[in-house]
Amino acid sequence: MVRAVPRRPLLAGILGAPLLAPAIGRAQGIEPAEAPRRAERWHDLKLSIFDRGTEPAGDALTLVAPARALDAAAVPISLSLSAEAAPRVRAIHLVIDENPAPLAAVFRAGPAGDLRALSARVRVDAYTLMHAVAETDDGRLLETAQFVKAAGGCSAPVGTDLRAARERMGRMRMALPEGPPAPDRAAPVQVAVSHPNTSGLQIDQLSRLSIPAEFVQTLRVLYRGAEVLRAECGISIAENPTFGFALAGEPGGELKVEAEDNRERRFAAAWVVGNGG
Amino acid sequence: MLAAAGPAIAATVQVAPGVYVLPGVHEDASPSNGNAIANVGFVVGGASVAVVDPGGSMAHGRRLRRAVEAVTPLPIRHLVLTHAHPDHVMGAAAFAELRPEVVGHARLPEALAQRREGYLRMIEREMGAEAAAGSDALPPTRLVEDRLDLDLGAGRALSIAAHGPAHTDADLSLFDPATATLWLSDLLFVERIPSLDGSLAGWLRELAALRERPAARAVPGHGPPAVPWPAGAAALTGYLEALRDGTRAAIASGVGIAEAPARVASAEASRWRLAEGYHGRNVSAAYRELEWE
Repeated sequence: MVRAVPRRPLLAGILGAPLLAPAIGRAQGIEPAEAPRRAERWHDLKLSIFDRGTEPAGDALTLVAPARALDAAAVPISLSLSAEAAPRVRAIHLVIDENPAPLAAVFRAGPAGDLRALSARVRVDAYTLMHAVAETDDGRLLETAQFVKAAGGCSAPVGTDLRAARERMGRMRMALPEGPPAPDRAAPVQVAVSHPNTSGLQIDQLSRLSIPAEFVQTLRVLYRGAEVLRAECGISIAENPTFGFALAGEPGGELKVEAEDNRERRFAAAWVVGNGG
Repeated sequence: MLAAAGPAIAATVQVAPGVYVLPGVHEDASPSNGNAIANVGFVVGGASVAVVDPGGSMAHGRRLRRAVEAVTPLPIRHLVLTHAHPDHVMGAAAFAELRPEVVGHARLPEALAQRREGYLRMIEREMGAEAAAGSDALPPTRLVEDRLDLDLGAGRALSIAAHGPAHTDADLSLFDPATATLWLSDLLFVERIPSLDGSLAGWLRELAALRERPAARAVPGHGPPAVPWPAGAAALTGYLEALRDGTRAAIASGVGIAEAPARVASAEASRWRLAEGYHGRNVSAAYRELEWE
Protein backbone atom coordinates (compact mmCIF):
# COMPACT_ATOMS: atom_id res chain seq x y z
CA MET A 1 0.00 0.00 0.00
CA VAL A 2 1.03 3.58 -0.48
CA ARG A 3 1.03 4.46 3.16
CA ALA A 4 2.22 8.02 2.65
CA VAL A 5 -0.93 8.79 0.73
CA PRO A 6 -3.98 9.22 2.90
CA ARG A 7 -6.91 7.12 1.73
CA ARG A 8 -9.49 9.82 1.91
CA PRO A 9 -12.33 10.65 -0.39
CA LEU A 10 -11.52 12.92 -3.28
CA LEU A 11 -11.31 16.43 -2.00
CA ALA A 12 -12.53 18.08 -5.13
CA GLY A 13 -15.31 16.21 -6.87
CA ILE A 14 -15.33 16.15 -10.62
CA LEU A 15 -17.82 18.95 -10.67
CA GLY A 16 -17.11 20.05 -7.13
CA ALA A 17 -15.88 23.25 -5.61
CA PRO A 18 -12.20 24.12 -5.86
CA LEU A 19 -10.97 22.94 -2.48
CA LEU A 20 -7.39 23.89 -3.03
CA ALA A 21 -6.28 25.15 0.32
CA PRO A 22 -3.96 22.24 1.13
CA ALA A 23 -1.80 22.55 -1.95
CA ILE A 24 -1.72 26.33 -1.99
CA GLY A 25 -1.01 26.47 1.73
CA ARG A 26 2.34 24.86 1.01
CA ALA A 27 3.18 27.20 -1.81
CA GLN A 28 4.79 30.18 -0.10
CA GLY A 29 4.96 33.68 -1.46
CA ILE A 30 1.60 34.18 -3.14
CA GLU A 31 0.27 37.71 -2.92
CA PRO A 32 -2.84 37.42 -0.68
CA ALA A 33 -4.97 39.48 -3.06
CA GLU A 34 -4.14 37.12 -5.91
CA ALA A 35 -4.75 33.87 -4.07
CA PRO A 36 -8.45 33.48 -4.99
CA ARG A 37 -7.78 34.11 -8.68
CA ARG A 38 -4.89 31.66 -8.70
CA ALA A 39 -7.03 29.03 -6.97
CA GLU A 40 -9.74 29.50 -9.55
CA ARG A 41 -7.23 29.25 -12.37
CA TRP A 42 -5.93 25.94 -11.08
CA HIS A 43 -9.46 24.69 -10.61
CA ASP A 44 -10.23 25.47 -14.26
CA LEU A 45 -6.97 23.94 -15.44
CA LYS A 46 -7.63 20.74 -13.58
CA LEU A 47 -11.03 20.41 -15.20
CA SER A 48 -9.46 20.82 -18.62
CA ILE A 49 -6.56 18.40 -18.03
CA PHE A 50 -7.97 15.64 -15.82
CA ASP A 51 -11.22 13.69 -15.83
CA ARG A 52 -11.05 13.11 -12.08
CA GLY A 53 -10.46 15.19 -8.98
CA THR A 54 -7.12 15.39 -7.19
CA GLU A 55 -6.06 14.97 -3.60
CA PRO A 56 -3.08 16.44 -1.74
CA ALA A 57 0.08 14.46 -2.33
CA GLY A 58 1.42 14.81 1.18
CA ASP A 59 4.90 13.31 1.34
CA ALA A 60 4.35 11.08 -1.66
CA LEU A 61 5.31 13.71 -4.24
CA THR A 62 7.66 16.70 -3.85
CA LEU A 63 8.10 19.53 -6.34
CA VAL A 64 11.15 21.75 -5.89
CA ALA A 65 11.42 25.03 -7.78
CA PRO A 66 13.23 28.26 -6.93
CA ALA A 67 11.05 30.80 -5.11
CA ARG A 68 12.61 33.43 -7.38
CA ALA A 69 14.12 32.23 -10.63
CA LEU A 70 17.48 33.45 -11.92
CA ASP A 71 16.49 32.92 -15.52
CA ALA A 72 12.79 32.80 -16.41
CA ALA A 73 13.63 31.05 -19.69
CA ALA A 74 15.30 28.09 -17.92
CA VAL A 75 13.93 27.53 -14.44
CA PRO A 76 15.29 24.30 -12.96
CA ILE A 77 12.66 22.13 -11.28
CA SER A 78 12.81 18.72 -9.71
CA LEU A 79 10.17 16.14 -8.84
CA SER A 80 10.60 13.29 -6.42
CA LEU A 81 8.44 10.46 -5.20
CA SER A 82 8.66 8.81 -1.81
CA ALA A 83 10.01 5.25 -1.76
CA GLU A 84 6.49 4.02 -1.10
CA ALA A 85 4.92 6.00 -3.91
CA ALA A 86 7.59 5.45 -6.59
CA PRO A 87 6.52 1.94 -7.66
CA ARG A 88 2.87 2.99 -7.83
CA VAL A 89 3.16 6.18 -9.87
CA ARG A 90 3.13 5.72 -13.62
CA ALA A 91 2.78 9.35 -14.71
CA ILE A 92 3.47 12.85 -13.42
CA HIS A 93 1.93 15.95 -14.98
CA LEU A 94 3.77 19.24 -14.62
CA VAL A 95 1.58 22.31 -14.96
CA ILE A 96 2.74 25.94 -14.98
CA ASP A 97 -0.56 27.66 -14.30
CA GLU A 98 0.08 31.08 -15.81
CA ASN A 99 1.99 29.98 -18.91
CA PRO A 100 0.29 30.34 -22.32
CA ALA A 101 0.26 26.54 -22.63
CA PRO A 102 0.14 25.49 -18.97
CA LEU A 103 0.70 21.74 -19.35
CA ALA A 104 4.49 21.77 -19.54
CA ALA A 105 5.14 18.04 -19.61
CA VAL A 106 3.80 14.61 -18.81
CA PHE A 107 6.40 12.14 -17.62
CA ARG A 108 5.49 8.49 -18.01
CA ALA A 109 7.42 5.62 -16.48
CA GLY A 110 8.32 2.86 -18.90
CA PRO A 111 8.38 -0.85 -17.97
CA ALA A 112 12.07 -0.52 -17.08
CA GLY A 113 11.91 2.62 -14.96
CA ASP A 114 10.13 4.72 -12.40
CA LEU A 115 9.67 8.42 -11.76
CA ARG A 116 11.29 8.63 -8.33
CA ALA A 117 13.64 11.50 -9.24
CA LEU A 118 13.00 13.74 -12.23
CA SER A 119 14.36 17.12 -13.21
CA ALA A 120 13.68 19.52 -16.05
CA ARG A 121 14.13 23.16 -17.04
CA VAL A 122 11.06 25.16 -17.88
CA ARG A 123 10.01 28.57 -19.12
CA VAL A 124 7.96 30.70 -16.74
CA ASP A 125 6.00 33.54 -18.29
CA ALA A 126 4.63 35.25 -15.18
CA TYR A 127 4.59 34.83 -11.40
CA THR A 128 2.85 31.50 -11.15
CA LEU A 129 1.76 28.51 -9.19
CA MET A 130 3.44 25.42 -10.54
CA HIS A 131 1.64 22.14 -9.97
CA ALA A 132 2.73 18.54 -10.16
CA VAL A 133 0.11 15.80 -10.27
CA ALA A 134 1.12 12.17 -9.93
CA GLU A 135 -1.19 9.48 -11.26
CA THR A 136 -1.09 6.19 -9.36
CA ASP A 137 -1.69 2.77 -10.84
CA ASP A 138 -5.10 2.69 -9.18
CA GLY A 139 -6.10 5.96 -10.80
CA ARG A 140 -5.66 8.45 -7.99
CA LEU A 141 -4.28 11.91 -8.71
CA LEU A 142 -1.88 13.31 -6.11
CA GLU A 143 -1.29 17.03 -6.27
CA THR A 144 1.39 19.38 -4.95
CA ALA A 145 2.35 22.98 -5.75
CA GLN A 146 5.05 25.62 -5.55
CA PHE A 147 4.86 29.34 -6.18
CA VAL A 148 7.57 30.69 -8.50
CA LYS A 149 8.49 34.31 -9.13
CA ALA A 150 9.78 34.71 -12.66
CA ALA A 151 8.48 36.53 -15.70
CA GLY A 152 8.95 36.69 -19.44
CA GLY A 153 10.34 33.20 -19.95
CA CYS A 154 8.03 32.19 -22.77
CA SER A 155 8.54 35.32 -24.80
CA ALA A 156 12.24 35.59 -23.94
CA PRO A 157 14.43 35.59 -27.00
CA VAL A 158 16.47 32.51 -27.71
CA GLY A 159 19.02 32.48 -24.93
CA THR A 160 22.09 32.16 -27.01
CA ASP A 161 23.07 32.53 -30.60
CA LEU A 162 20.13 31.23 -32.65
CA ARG A 163 22.29 30.50 -35.69
CA ALA A 164 24.68 28.41 -33.61
CA ALA A 165 21.74 26.75 -31.86
CA ARG A 166 20.26 25.70 -35.20
CA GLU A 167 23.55 24.27 -36.39
CA ARG A 168 23.73 22.21 -33.21
CA MET A 169 20.13 21.00 -33.35
CA GLY A 170 19.78 17.33 -32.51
CA ARG A 171 23.11 16.93 -30.81
CA MET A 172 22.64 15.09 -27.51
CA ARG A 173 24.43 14.86 -24.21
CA MET A 174 24.30 12.25 -21.48
CA ALA A 175 25.90 12.52 -18.06
CA LEU A 176 26.18 10.12 -15.12
CA PRO A 177 27.34 12.40 -12.32
CA GLU A 178 27.49 9.55 -9.82
CA GLY A 179 28.62 6.81 -12.17
CA PRO A 180 26.76 3.87 -13.70
CA PRO A 181 23.77 2.20 -12.05
CA ALA A 182 23.70 -1.10 -10.23
CA PRO A 183 20.80 -3.51 -9.76
CA ASP A 184 20.40 -2.32 -6.18
CA ARG A 185 21.31 1.33 -6.75
CA ALA A 186 19.58 3.79 -9.02
CA ALA A 187 22.01 6.24 -10.58
CA PRO A 188 21.06 9.80 -11.52
CA VAL A 189 21.22 10.35 -15.28
CA GLN A 190 20.93 13.60 -17.20
CA VAL A 191 20.09 13.71 -20.90
CA ALA A 192 19.81 16.77 -23.10
CA VAL A 193 18.90 17.50 -26.71
CA SER A 194 20.27 20.57 -28.39
CA HIS A 195 17.20 22.28 -29.81
CA PRO A 196 16.14 25.95 -29.91
CA ASN A 197 12.72 24.85 -28.60
CA THR A 198 11.16 28.11 -29.66
CA SER A 199 7.89 28.67 -27.89
CA GLY A 200 5.94 30.61 -30.50
CA LEU A 201 4.19 33.76 -29.42
CA GLN A 202 1.09 33.75 -31.58
CA ILE A 203 -2.23 33.18 -29.87
CA ASP A 204 -4.90 31.12 -31.56
CA GLN A 205 -7.93 33.39 -31.29
CA LEU A 206 -10.32 30.46 -30.95
CA SER A 207 -8.54 28.27 -28.45
CA ARG A 208 -6.67 31.10 -26.71
CA LEU A 209 -3.66 28.82 -26.71
CA SER A 210 -0.30 29.65 -28.17
CA ILE A 211 0.43 28.32 -31.59
CA PRO A 212 3.56 26.26 -31.06
CA ALA A 213 6.68 27.04 -33.01
CA GLU A 214 9.49 24.48 -33.06
CA PHE A 215 9.93 22.32 -29.99
CA VAL A 216 10.68 18.80 -28.87
CA GLN A 217 7.38 17.03 -28.38
CA THR A 218 8.41 13.61 -27.19
CA LEU A 219 11.54 12.25 -25.68
CA ARG A 220 12.00 8.54 -24.90
CA VAL A 221 14.76 6.94 -22.90
CA LEU A 222 15.45 3.24 -23.35
CA TYR A 223 17.89 1.04 -21.46
CA ARG A 224 18.82 -2.35 -22.82
CA GLY A 225 15.99 -1.89 -25.31
CA ALA A 226 13.25 -1.34 -22.72
CA GLU A 227 11.57 2.00 -22.16
CA VAL A 228 12.61 3.75 -18.97
CA LEU A 229 10.98 7.13 -19.37
CA ARG A 230 8.82 8.98 -21.81
CA ALA A 231 8.36 12.75 -21.66
CA GLU A 232 5.56 14.40 -23.62
CA CYS A 233 6.46 18.05 -23.79
CA GLY A 234 4.82 21.38 -24.53
CA ILE A 235 6.32 24.77 -25.32
CA SER A 236 7.09 25.47 -21.67
CA ILE A 237 10.19 23.31 -21.78
CA ALA A 238 13.33 25.45 -22.01
CA GLU A 239 15.74 25.66 -24.94
CA ASN A 240 17.94 22.55 -25.20
CA PRO A 241 15.49 20.26 -23.37
CA THR A 242 17.34 18.73 -20.43
CA PHE A 243 15.92 16.02 -18.20
CA GLY A 244 17.17 14.10 -15.22
CA PHE A 245 15.90 10.74 -14.01
CA ALA A 246 17.05 7.76 -11.97
CA LEU A 247 18.21 4.60 -13.71
CA ALA A 248 18.48 1.24 -11.96
CA GLY A 249 19.78 -1.96 -13.48
CA GLU A 250 22.92 -3.83 -14.49
CA PRO A 251 25.64 -1.51 -15.78
CA GLY A 252 27.11 -1.97 -19.24
CA GLY A 253 23.88 -1.70 -21.20
CA GLU A 254 23.02 0.69 -23.98
CA LEU A 255 21.15 3.85 -23.02
CA LYS A 256 19.27 5.28 -25.97
CA VAL A 257 17.49 8.61 -26.27
CA GLU A 258 14.98 9.28 -29.04
CA ALA A 259 13.39 12.66 -29.52
CA GLU A 260 10.93 14.05 -32.01
CA ASP A 261 9.94 17.66 -32.50
CA ASN A 262 6.67 19.11 -33.76
CA ARG A 263 8.10 19.37 -37.28
CA GLU A 264 8.59 15.60 -37.22
CA ARG A 265 12.35 15.89 -37.05
CA ARG A 266 13.73 12.86 -35.26
CA PHE A 267 16.90 12.75 -33.22
CA ALA A 268 18.57 9.82 -31.51
CA ALA A 269 21.76 9.00 -29.68
CA ALA A 270 23.02 6.03 -27.69
CA TRP A 271 25.72 5.46 -25.13
CA VAL A 272 27.04 2.39 -23.36
CA VAL A 273 26.62 3.03 -19.67
CA GLY A 274 30.05 1.95 -18.56
CA ASN A 275 30.75 -0.76 -16.04
CA GLY A 276 34.10 0.66 -15.19
CA GLY A 277 35.13 0.89 -18.83
CA MET B 1 29.12 78.38 -18.07
CA LEU B 2 28.83 75.01 -16.41
CA ALA B 3 27.17 76.51 -13.36
CA ALA B 4 24.52 78.12 -15.52
CA ALA B 5 23.87 74.77 -17.18
CA GLY B 6 23.09 73.07 -13.87
CA PRO B 7 24.57 70.30 -11.81
CA ALA B 8 23.56 67.51 -14.18
CA ILE B 9 25.70 68.98 -16.92
CA ALA B 10 28.55 69.77 -14.54
CA ALA B 11 28.70 66.00 -14.00
CA THR B 12 29.89 65.46 -17.58
CA VAL B 13 33.56 64.49 -17.69
CA GLN B 14 35.85 65.27 -20.61
CA VAL B 15 38.06 62.19 -20.62
CA ALA B 16 40.07 63.30 -23.67
CA PRO B 17 39.83 66.33 -25.97
CA GLY B 18 36.30 66.26 -27.41
CA VAL B 19 35.36 63.00 -25.70
CA TYR B 20 32.72 63.45 -22.97
CA VAL B 21 31.25 60.91 -20.57
CA LEU B 22 28.18 61.34 -18.38
CA PRO B 23 28.85 58.75 -15.67
CA GLY B 24 26.09 56.44 -14.44
CA VAL B 25 25.49 55.37 -10.86
CA HIS B 26 26.01 51.83 -9.55
CA GLU B 27 22.35 51.12 -8.88
CA ASP B 28 19.48 49.31 -10.52
CA ALA B 29 16.87 51.46 -12.22
CA SER B 30 14.69 53.33 -9.74
CA PRO B 31 12.31 56.32 -9.68
CA SER B 32 15.04 58.49 -8.14
CA ASN B 33 17.89 57.67 -10.55
CA GLY B 34 15.87 57.84 -13.76
CA ASN B 35 17.71 54.74 -15.02
CA ALA B 36 20.86 56.85 -15.43
CA ILE B 37 22.95 53.86 -14.43
CA ALA B 38 25.24 53.46 -17.44
CA ASN B 39 28.09 55.61 -18.68
CA VAL B 40 26.88 57.44 -21.77
CA GLY B 41 28.35 60.38 -23.65
CA PHE B 42 29.42 61.95 -26.91
CA VAL B 43 32.30 62.79 -29.19
CA VAL B 44 32.57 66.26 -30.75
CA GLY B 45 34.02 66.33 -34.26
CA GLY B 46 34.76 69.17 -36.64
CA ALA B 47 31.29 69.28 -38.16
CA SER B 48 29.02 67.13 -36.06
CA VAL B 49 28.55 65.30 -32.79
CA ALA B 50 28.12 61.56 -32.24
CA VAL B 51 26.19 60.55 -29.14
CA VAL B 52 27.36 57.19 -27.82
CA ASP B 53 24.35 55.60 -26.08
CA PRO B 54 21.50 58.03 -25.48
CA GLY B 55 20.80 56.85 -21.91
CA GLY B 56 18.32 54.80 -19.96
CA SER B 57 15.23 57.02 -20.08
CA MET B 58 13.74 60.10 -21.70
CA ALA B 59 15.01 62.15 -18.74
CA HIS B 60 18.51 60.70 -19.02
CA GLY B 61 18.53 61.32 -22.77
CA ARG B 62 17.43 64.93 -22.29
CA ARG B 63 20.14 65.45 -19.71
CA LEU B 64 22.71 64.14 -22.15
CA ARG B 65 21.33 66.35 -24.93
CA ARG B 66 21.62 69.42 -22.70
CA ALA B 67 25.18 68.38 -21.89
CA VAL B 68 26.01 68.33 -25.61
CA GLU B 69 24.39 71.72 -26.16
CA ALA B 70 26.37 73.18 -23.25
CA VAL B 71 29.63 72.13 -24.89
CA THR B 72 29.11 72.73 -28.61
CA PRO B 73 26.69 74.28 -31.09
CA LEU B 74 27.47 71.53 -33.61
CA PRO B 75 24.52 69.31 -34.59
CA ILE B 76 24.03 65.81 -33.21
CA ARG B 77 24.04 63.85 -36.47
CA HIS B 78 24.79 60.37 -35.15
CA LEU B 79 23.41 58.23 -32.39
CA VAL B 80 25.45 55.10 -31.74
CA LEU B 81 23.64 52.31 -29.88
CA THR B 82 26.37 50.08 -28.46
CA HIS B 83 23.88 47.27 -27.71
CA ALA B 84 20.19 46.72 -26.94
CA HIS B 85 20.11 46.97 -23.13
CA PRO B 86 17.58 49.48 -21.80
CA ASP B 87 20.01 51.48 -19.65
CA HIS B 88 21.84 52.38 -22.88
CA VAL B 89 19.10 52.85 -25.48
CA MET B 90 15.84 54.01 -23.90
CA GLY B 91 16.90 57.67 -23.87
CA ALA B 92 17.02 57.68 -27.71
CA ALA B 93 13.53 59.19 -27.85
CA ALA B 94 15.01 62.44 -26.48
CA PHE B 95 16.96 62.79 -29.76
CA ALA B 96 14.21 61.72 -32.17
CA GLU B 97 13.32 65.21 -33.44
CA LEU B 98 16.95 65.80 -34.48
CA ARG B 99 16.57 62.86 -36.89
CA PRO B 100 20.06 61.52 -36.28
CA GLU B 101 21.53 58.61 -38.13
CA VAL B 102 21.11 55.68 -35.69
CA VAL B 103 24.08 53.33 -35.85
CA GLY B 104 23.86 49.78 -34.52
CA HIS B 105 25.22 46.27 -34.83
CA ALA B 106 23.79 44.23 -37.71
CA ARG B 107 22.00 42.13 -35.13
CA LEU B 108 20.60 45.08 -33.19
CA PRO B 109 17.29 45.36 -35.08
CA GLU B 110 16.45 41.76 -34.23
CA ALA B 111 17.50 42.20 -30.60
CA LEU B 112 15.35 45.31 -30.26
CA ALA B 113 12.41 43.67 -32.01
CA GLN B 114 12.52 40.80 -29.55
CA ARG B 115 13.20 42.76 -26.40
CA ARG B 116 12.07 46.36 -26.71
CA GLU B 117 8.56 45.84 -25.39
CA GLY B 118 9.76 43.77 -22.46
CA TYR B 119 12.37 46.38 -21.62
CA LEU B 120 9.78 49.16 -21.76
CA ARG B 121 7.59 47.24 -19.32
CA MET B 122 10.62 46.62 -17.14
CA ILE B 123 11.70 50.24 -16.85
CA GLU B 124 8.12 51.28 -16.21
CA ARG B 125 7.96 48.76 -13.38
CA GLU B 126 11.30 49.79 -11.93
CA MET B 127 11.16 53.57 -12.45
CA GLY B 128 7.43 54.12 -12.17
CA ALA B 129 5.14 55.01 -15.07
CA GLU B 130 5.60 58.75 -14.69
CA ALA B 131 9.41 58.71 -14.73
CA ALA B 132 9.50 56.19 -17.58
CA ALA B 133 7.00 58.02 -19.79
CA GLY B 134 8.27 58.81 -23.29
CA SER B 135 11.36 56.61 -23.01
CA ASP B 136 12.10 54.47 -26.05
CA ALA B 137 14.80 53.26 -28.38
CA LEU B 138 15.03 54.39 -32.02
CA PRO B 139 15.32 51.86 -34.84
CA PRO B 140 18.83 51.67 -36.30
CA THR B 141 19.20 53.32 -39.70
CA ARG B 142 22.79 52.27 -40.39
CA LEU B 143 24.00 48.78 -39.54
CA VAL B 144 27.54 47.67 -38.85
CA GLU B 145 28.40 44.16 -40.04
CA ASP B 146 32.10 44.44 -39.33
CA ARG B 147 33.67 47.91 -39.42
CA LEU B 148 32.42 51.42 -40.05
CA ASP B 149 34.21 54.76 -40.11
CA LEU B 150 31.94 57.49 -38.82
CA ASP B 151 33.09 60.86 -40.16
CA LEU B 152 32.51 63.71 -37.72
CA GLY B 153 34.23 66.28 -39.96
CA ALA B 154 37.55 68.10 -40.01
CA GLY B 155 39.54 64.90 -39.94
CA ARG B 156 37.86 63.31 -36.92
CA ALA B 157 36.45 59.90 -37.68
CA LEU B 158 35.35 57.24 -35.21
CA SER B 159 36.23 53.70 -36.09
CA ILE B 160 33.32 51.47 -35.09
CA ALA B 161 33.66 47.69 -34.74
CA ALA B 162 30.92 45.05 -34.56
CA HIS B 163 31.79 42.19 -32.23
CA GLY B 164 30.73 38.57 -32.09
CA PRO B 165 28.47 37.51 -29.20
CA ALA B 166 30.13 38.74 -26.00
CA HIS B 167 28.32 40.90 -23.41
CA THR B 168 25.27 40.62 -25.70
CA ASP B 169 24.95 39.34 -29.26
CA ALA B 170 24.97 42.87 -30.72
CA ASP B 171 27.92 44.73 -29.18
CA LEU B 172 29.68 47.68 -30.84
CA SER B 173 32.89 49.35 -29.73
CA LEU B 174 34.33 52.66 -30.94
CA PHE B 175 37.87 53.92 -31.30
CA ASP B 176 38.77 57.59 -31.56
CA PRO B 177 42.19 57.73 -33.23
CA ALA B 178 42.56 61.45 -32.47
CA THR B 179 42.83 60.73 -28.74
CA ALA B 180 43.53 56.96 -28.72
CA THR B 181 40.33 56.46 -26.74
CA LEU B 182 38.65 53.06 -26.91
CA TRP B 183 34.94 53.40 -26.08
CA LEU B 184 33.95 49.91 -25.02
CA SER B 185 30.60 50.50 -23.36
CA ASP B 186 29.43 47.22 -21.77
CA LEU B 187 32.21 45.15 -23.29
CA LEU B 188 34.01 46.60 -20.25
CA PHE B 189 32.63 46.65 -16.71
CA VAL B 190 34.58 48.20 -13.84
CA GLU B 191 33.40 48.11 -10.19
CA ARG B 192 29.84 47.05 -11.07
CA ILE B 193 29.44 43.31 -11.63
CA PRO B 194 29.20 42.45 -15.34
CA SER B 195 26.03 40.90 -16.69
CA LEU B 196 26.41 38.08 -19.17
CA ASP B 197 23.78 38.13 -21.90
CA GLY B 198 25.72 36.94 -24.95
CA SER B 199 28.53 34.42 -24.77
CA LEU B 200 31.08 33.88 -22.01
CA ALA B 201 33.61 32.26 -24.34
CA GLY B 202 32.95 34.99 -26.89
CA TRP B 203 33.38 37.78 -24.38
CA LEU B 204 36.74 36.42 -23.25
CA ARG B 205 37.80 36.12 -26.89
CA GLU B 206 36.78 39.68 -27.73
CA LEU B 207 38.46 41.01 -24.58
CA ALA B 208 41.69 39.22 -25.42
CA ALA B 209 41.69 40.82 -28.87
CA LEU B 210 40.80 44.25 -27.49
CA ARG B 211 43.58 44.08 -24.91
CA GLU B 212 46.07 43.80 -27.76
CA ARG B 213 44.83 47.08 -29.09
CA PRO B 214 47.00 50.06 -28.10
CA ALA B 215 44.90 52.78 -26.50
CA ALA B 216 45.51 55.49 -23.95
CA ARG B 217 42.26 54.84 -22.14
CA ALA B 218 39.00 52.95 -22.34
CA VAL B 219 35.48 54.08 -21.52
CA PRO B 220 33.59 51.36 -19.65
CA GLY B 221 29.81 51.01 -19.80
CA HIS B 222 29.77 50.90 -16.01
CA GLY B 223 32.52 52.23 -13.75
CA PRO B 224 34.69 55.36 -13.87
CA PRO B 225 34.35 57.60 -16.96
CA ALA B 226 37.67 56.24 -18.23
CA VAL B 227 40.29 53.72 -17.17
CA PRO B 228 43.85 53.05 -18.40
CA TRP B 229 44.10 50.42 -21.11
CA PRO B 230 44.61 47.48 -21.07
CA ALA B 231 45.07 47.57 -17.27
CA GLY B 232 41.40 48.45 -16.88
CA ALA B 233 40.38 45.07 -18.28
CA ALA B 234 42.20 42.99 -15.67
CA ALA B 235 39.40 42.69 -13.10
CA LEU B 236 36.75 41.87 -15.71
CA THR B 237 38.96 39.26 -17.34
CA GLY B 238 39.65 37.72 -13.93
CA TYR B 239 35.97 37.49 -13.08
CA LEU B 240 34.97 36.02 -16.44
CA GLU B 241 37.77 33.46 -16.26
CA ALA B 242 36.73 32.45 -12.74
CA LEU B 243 33.15 32.18 -13.93
CA ARG B 244 34.22 30.00 -16.86
CA ASP B 245 36.56 27.76 -14.87
CA GLY B 246 34.22 27.41 -11.89
CA THR B 247 31.22 26.63 -14.09
CA ARG B 248 33.17 24.08 -16.11
CA ALA B 249 34.26 22.39 -12.88
CA ALA B 250 30.67 22.35 -11.60
CA ILE B 251 29.41 20.75 -14.80
CA ALA B 252 32.20 18.17 -14.78
CA SER B 253 31.52 17.17 -11.18
CA GLY B 254 27.77 16.82 -11.65
CA VAL B 255 26.69 19.97 -9.77
CA GLY B 256 23.32 20.84 -11.29
CA ILE B 257 22.25 24.17 -12.75
CA ALA B 258 20.02 24.74 -9.71
CA GLU B 259 22.91 24.44 -7.26
CA ALA B 260 25.76 25.97 -9.28
CA PRO B 261 24.86 29.67 -8.76
CA ALA B 262 25.54 29.46 -5.02
CA ARG B 263 28.78 27.54 -5.49
CA VAL B 264 30.65 28.99 -8.47
CA ALA B 265 33.14 31.88 -8.23
CA SER B 266 31.53 33.32 -5.10
CA ALA B 267 34.78 34.87 -3.86
CA GLU B 268 35.43 36.64 -7.17
CA ALA B 269 31.83 37.86 -7.31
CA SER B 270 31.99 39.35 -3.82
CA ARG B 271 34.53 41.92 -5.02
CA TRP B 272 31.97 43.56 -7.30
CA ARG B 273 29.14 45.99 -6.59
CA LEU B 274 25.59 44.61 -7.02
CA ALA B 275 26.92 41.03 -7.18
CA GLU B 276 23.85 39.70 -5.35
CA GLY B 277 21.59 40.77 -8.20
CA TYR B 278 23.61 39.42 -11.12
CA HIS B 279 26.18 36.79 -10.22
CA GLY B 280 23.69 33.93 -9.91
CA ARG B 281 22.25 34.78 -13.31
CA ASN B 282 25.74 34.91 -14.79
CA VAL B 283 26.47 31.42 -13.48
CA SER B 284 23.17 30.14 -14.83
CA ALA B 285 23.90 31.65 -18.26
CA ALA B 286 27.47 30.36 -18.23
CA TYR B 287 26.24 26.89 -17.30
CA ARG B 288 23.79 26.76 -20.20
CA GLU B 289 26.50 27.82 -22.60
CA LEU B 290 29.37 25.70 -21.33
CA GLU B 291 27.47 22.44 -20.92
CA TRP B 292 27.41 22.30 -24.73
CA GLU B 293 31.15 22.90 -25.22
